Amino acid sequence: MSAANTEVLYGLYDDEEILLEAVKKAKEDHLEIMDVFTPFPVHGLDPILGLEESRLHIAGFIYGAIGTLTAFLFMTWVFTRDWPIIFGGKPYFSAPAFIPITFEVTVLMASVGMVVTFYTICGMAPGVTNATLDDRITDDKFCIAFNTNGASSDVLDKLKGFFSSTGASEVNSKTI
Amino acid sequence: MNQFTLEARHKSVLIGAVILGVLCLGLTFLFYDDELHSRFWSNYLHNTVFFTGIAFVSLFVLAAFTTAYAGWHTVFKRIWEAYAFFLIPGLVLFLVIIAGIWGHFHHLYHWTNEADVATDRIMLGKSGFLNKYWYTFGTIIIMGTWIFFANKLRSISVEEDLHGTTDYAFHRRIRRWSAAFLPIAGFTSAALIWQWVMSVDAHWYSTLFAWYATASWFVAAMALTIMTLIFLKSRGYYQNVTDEHLHDLGKYMFAFSVFWTYLWFSQYMLIWYGNNGEETIYFRTRLDEYRVLFFGNLLLNFATPFLVLMRNDTKRKFGTLVFASVICFFGHWWDFFLMIKPGVLHTTHEALAHGAEAAADAAHHGGFTAGFTIPGLLEVGTMLGFLGGFLWFALSRLEKAPLTPSNDPYIEESLHHHV
Amino acid sequence: MSAVVSPIREPLIQGGKSYHQITEDIVSPTEKTPSTAWVIAFIIAVTGLAFYVFCVAWTVWVGIGSWDLNRTIGWGWDITNFVWWVGIGHAGTLISAILLLFRQKWRTGVNRAAEAMTIFAVMCAGQFPLIHMGRLWLGFFIFPYPNTRGPLWVNFNSPLLWDVFAISTYFTVSLLFWYTGLVPDFATVRDRAKGLRRKIYNFVSFGWTGSAKHWQRWESLSLILAGLATPLVLSVHTIVSFDFATSVIPGWHTTIFPPYFVAGAIFSGFAMVQTLMLITRKILKLEQYITIGHIESMNKVILLTGTIVGVAYLTELFIAWYSGYIYEQFAFYNRVLGPYWWSYVGMMSCNVLSPQIFWWKKFRRSIFVTFVMSIFVNIGMWFERFVIIATTLARDYLPSSWSYYTPTWVEIGLFVGTLGLFFTLYLIFTRVAPVVAVAEIKAILKSAGDQYTGPNAHGHGHHVGHKKDIPAGGTVDIDDPETGQSTDH
Repeated sequence: MSAANTEVLYGLYDDEEILLEAVKKAKEDHLEIMDVFTPFPVHGLDPILGLEESRLHIAGFIYGAIGTLTAFLFMTWVFTRDWPIIFGGKPYFSAPAFIPITFEVTVLMASVGMVVTFYTICGMAPGVTNATLDDRITDDKFCIAFNTNGASSDVLDKLKGFFSSTGASEVNSKTI
Repeated sequence: MNQFTLEARHKSVLIGAVILGVLCLGLTFLFYDDELHSRFWSNYLHNTVFFTGIAFVSLFVLAAFTTAYAGWHTVFKRIWEAYAFFLIPGLVLFLVIIAGIWGHFHHLYHWTNEADVATDRIMLGKSGFLNKYWYTFGTIIIMGTWIFFANKLRSISVEEDLHGTTDYAFHRRIRRWSAAFLPIAGFTSAALIWQWVMSVDAHWYSTLFAWYATASWFVAAMALTIMTLIFLKSRGYYQNVTDEHLHDLGKYMFAFSVFWTYLWFSQYMLIWYGNNGEETIYFRTRLDEYRVLFFGNLLLNFATPFLVLMRNDTKRKFGTLVFASVICFFGHWWDFFLMIKPGVLHTTHEALAHGAEAAADAAHHGGFTAGFTIPGLLEVGTMLGFLGGFLWFALSRLEKAPLTPSNDPYIEESLHHHV
Repeated sequence: MSAVVSPIREPLIQGGKSYHQITEDIVSPTEKTPSTAWVIAFIIAVTGLAFYVFCVAWTVWVGIGSWDLNRTIGWGWDITNFVWWVGIGHAGTLISAILLLFRQKWRTGVNRAAEAMTIFAVMCAGQFPLIHMGRLWLGFFIFPYPNTRGPLWVNFNSPLLWDVFAISTYFTVSLLFWYTGLVPDFATVRDRAKGLRRKIYNFVSFGWTGSAKHWQRWESLSLILAGLATPLVLSVHTIVSFDFATSVIPGWHTTIFPPYFVAGAIFSGFAMVQTLMLITRKILKLEQYITIGHIESMNKVILLTGTIVGVAYLTELFIAWYSGYIYEQFAFYNRVLGPYWWSYVGMMSCNVLSPQIFWWKKFRRSIFVTFVMSIFVNIGMWFERFVIIATTLARDYLPSSWSYYTPTWVEIGLFVGTLGLFFTLYLIFTRVAPVVAVAEIKAILKSAGDQYTGPNAHGHGHHVGHKKDIPAGGTVDIDDPETGQSTDH
C-alpha cells in the first residue's frame, strides 16, 4: 500500500462499449484519467487512452540473446578449453550438438526474464496487496478513476457531471 | 476494381521473361554444357519441380485453410486458386522429363541406366519403386488428381460467386472437397518428392526428406503470394487486402522459415550424429564441394527472414516485406538447386567416366563446375523464364473471375480482418 | 468491439451469459464443498498416488533389479511412460500457444485446464528418468555445476542431457505461462472471498488490480510467451525423439522422428484433453463453455494428427524397404511380424484406423464416441512408444542376445501410480482455481456468445449477416441443420 493517500473519484460502467465511449469523451474534455480498470483486456482501449506500446518484447529479446550467448559460449569453453573430451569421434567443437541446449537456455532466459520484468514493473509479487477500488471490477464492472487530491468542488462537480453524462451506473469516492 | 486485366505492357514483360528463359536454356544446351547436357536438364528439372511445388502448395493451403475455418484469406483466395492452375503446365513440363527417361535423352536419374542398376545391389533393391513406370504413371495419376481437385475448388468457388445462396451450399461442397484433398495430398506429395527429387541421389534416403521439401515449397509460395499481392495493390487492385492480411502472410512466411530451419536441422544433425557412411555422404559432398550453396542456404532461408521478420512492424511495411519475400523466394529456389544439382553431377560424372572408380574419383574431386557449383547467370535467366511463365499463366487465370469472391460465408470477416 | 463474425461460425459460449454469470459459473465450483463424485475420484487418485510412492520406495530399496529390464532390453515401461507423459503434456501448450497464434477462438474454453494438464503430465514424465537412475539421491548429478569430482562436466553432446534442459525449461515456461494467465482470475476469486480465503487468494493473485496498463503488458507478455512456447513445444518432443534417433539402432535412427514425435504428442495430448474435459464439463456443469463445438474442433485435430502420424508410419515402413539396408528392413519386419506384433497392431488400429471415424460429423459430435476414442488414442500412443522402444531392443544385431520383456508388478505399479499422481493434482486444481479462463472468456463473449452470434442471437448489431437476405445476427449451420443445434445429452 502506498504511503501517500490518494483520493479517488471513480465511476463504474456496465459494459465495455459504454466505457470506450466515456474514455473517448474524457479525452475530448481533457480530463486527466488516473487509470482505467477492467475485468478483461478491452480491445481498442489502449489507443484511446494513449498508452504507448509495451516494450516488454525488447526486454525479452535481450534476455534471449544473453541466454543464447551464455549457453553456446559456455559449452564451447567447457569442451575446447576446460576439459576437452572426444565423444563418438566428434570434434571438440561440435556446434550441431550444442544447438538444442542453446535453444532451450535462450527460451528459458527470455521467458523467466520477461515474467520477472512484467511483475516488477507492474508492482506485483506474491503477497503484495495493491489497493483496489471495487470488488466488482474483477467481475463485471468497468471503472474510470480520477485522482481528486486537493481538487476543488468545481472540479469534482465537473467529474460527476462527466460520469452521469457518459452513463456510469455508480459513482463513488475512495481514499487509497 | 474487382476485375483484373493483365495490361499489355506487363504481358509483354512476362513474355519477354519467358523468351529470356528459353534463350538461356538454349544457350546452356548449345554452348555451356557437357556432352550429356546435364546442366540443361538439371536446370529444367529444378525449375519444373520448384514451380510445380508452388502450385501444389497453393492448392494445399487453400484446402487446409478452408478445413480449419481460417476465413481471413477469403478476400484474396483467388490468387491461390490461380496459382494452383500451374499444375497443368507443370504436368506438361514433367511429360518432357518422362519422355526423356523413356527415350534416354538425359541422365538426370542414375536409376534409369539399366546396365548400372543390374550391377548395383542397392539400386536393384529399389527398382520396384525407382523405375520408369512408377515415375511416369505416378506423376501423371497423382498430378492428374491434384489438377482435378484444383479444378473442383476453383469451379465451385466461381459458381458460388454467381449462384451463391444463404445456405452456403457451395461452401459446404468446397469444404468437403478440401477435407478430402488433405490426406490425399499428404500421401501423394511424399511419393512424388521421393521420385522427382530424392531419387536424384539414388542410393541415399531420408525419411524426413519429403516434409523438408514441402516446407521449402511452402515458404516460396508464401513469398510469391506476398509479392504478387503487393504488386497488384500497387496497380490499384486488391485495395481490400490490408496490412492486416499481409501481416498474417508475413507471419506464415516467418513461421514456416523457422519450421523449415527446424526440419533442416533435424535432418542434418541426425545424419551428422549417427555418422553412417551411406547417409553422411549426402552432406559430406555438399559441405566439401558446395560450401557456398550449403551455408548460403542457411543465410538466405533462416538468418535473413528470421532477423527481418521477427519484429511486428516489418511484417506490415511493404519495403521490408518485399525484401524478405524476394530473399525467401530466391532462397528456396537455391535450396532446391542444392537438393538436385550435386546428385545429377555425380550421375553425369559416373556416366562419362565409364567405370566406377574413375567415376567416384571424378565425382569427389570435381572442383568448380559451371552451373552446378553455384547458380550462374544462365540459371538465373532460366528461373526468370519459368517465373514469367508461371505468372503469365496464373495472372491469366486471375482475369477469368472477380478478384474477391462474393457469397462466401467468410467474406465479411475477411474484409474486416484485424490481427 | 466491432467484431465481424461469419454467419457459419458456431457460438462458443451458450446460454446467453452476462459477464457476471460467467464469473458465477466458473468461480463458484471453487467456493462450494466438493461433490460426492469429486470425493470418490479423489480417494481413488490418492490411493493410486500412495501405491506410486510404495513402488518408488520398493524400486529404490530393492534396486532396479525389481524391474524386468535386461542387457538387451535396457529401456522398457519406464521410458515408454516417460515419452507418453511428455507427449500428453504437449496439447496444453499447443492449445494455449499455437492456437493463440492461429487465432482459433475455441481455445479459450479449454486452455486453462489443458495447460494445467501439461504441467501435471510433465511432472509425471520427469519422475521416470529419475527413478530409472536407481540411486535417486544422486539425481542432481545431471546438472552442470562446478563439483568436487574434479571439474568434470556433464556431456553436453548427449541427447539425454538435452532432455534435462528441455524438460526443465518446458516445465518452467509452461508454469509461468499458466500462472500468468491465472493471476487475473485469482484476483476475481479474491474479490468474491472473505476472511482467510481472501488472504490466501490475495497472496496468490500478486496484487492484481486490472489496470489498463497492466492488461496491456499482460497481453503483450502472453503473446510473446506463446511465441516462445510454440518452438519450445516442438523442441521438447524433438529432443525426446533425439534420444532414439541419434543412435545407430535400426528403427530408431530415422530423420522423420522429430516432426513425427511432435505430431504424435499433439495427438495423444488432445486425446487426454478430451478425456479430462468430457468429465470436467459434466461434473462442474460447464457445458455452456466447453461446448460440443469445442469437442468437435478437438476431434478434428485428433483426426488430422492421427493421419499425420499414419503418414509417418507408412513413410518409415516404405523407406525401410527403400533404403536397401537389411538391418533397417529387418527392424520393421520385426515390428510388424515379430514377437511384439500385437503392440504394432494395437498402435495401428488405435492411432491410425480408429480416428478415421471422425470423418463423420455425427461421431465428432457424440460425447460417447469421443470419450471412447480418447481412451483408444491414449492406449494407441502408449503402444507406439512401446513398439519403438521394447520391440526394437528385443531384436538387436546379435541374435544370441535376442530377448523378450514383460513388466513386473513394480513397473506396472509405477505407471498406474503416475496416473494417481496426475489425477490427484488435476482434481486439486479443479477445486482451487477456475478451470476455464474467466477473463479470456469474457473477452470473447461479444464475438462468440450465442446471444450475439448463432441462431439465438437477438440482432445486437455486432454481427454482420450475409448481405442478401439473412436476418441480422442469424446464422446458418451449413453442415447439418438437425444436429447443428446440440446433440449434447
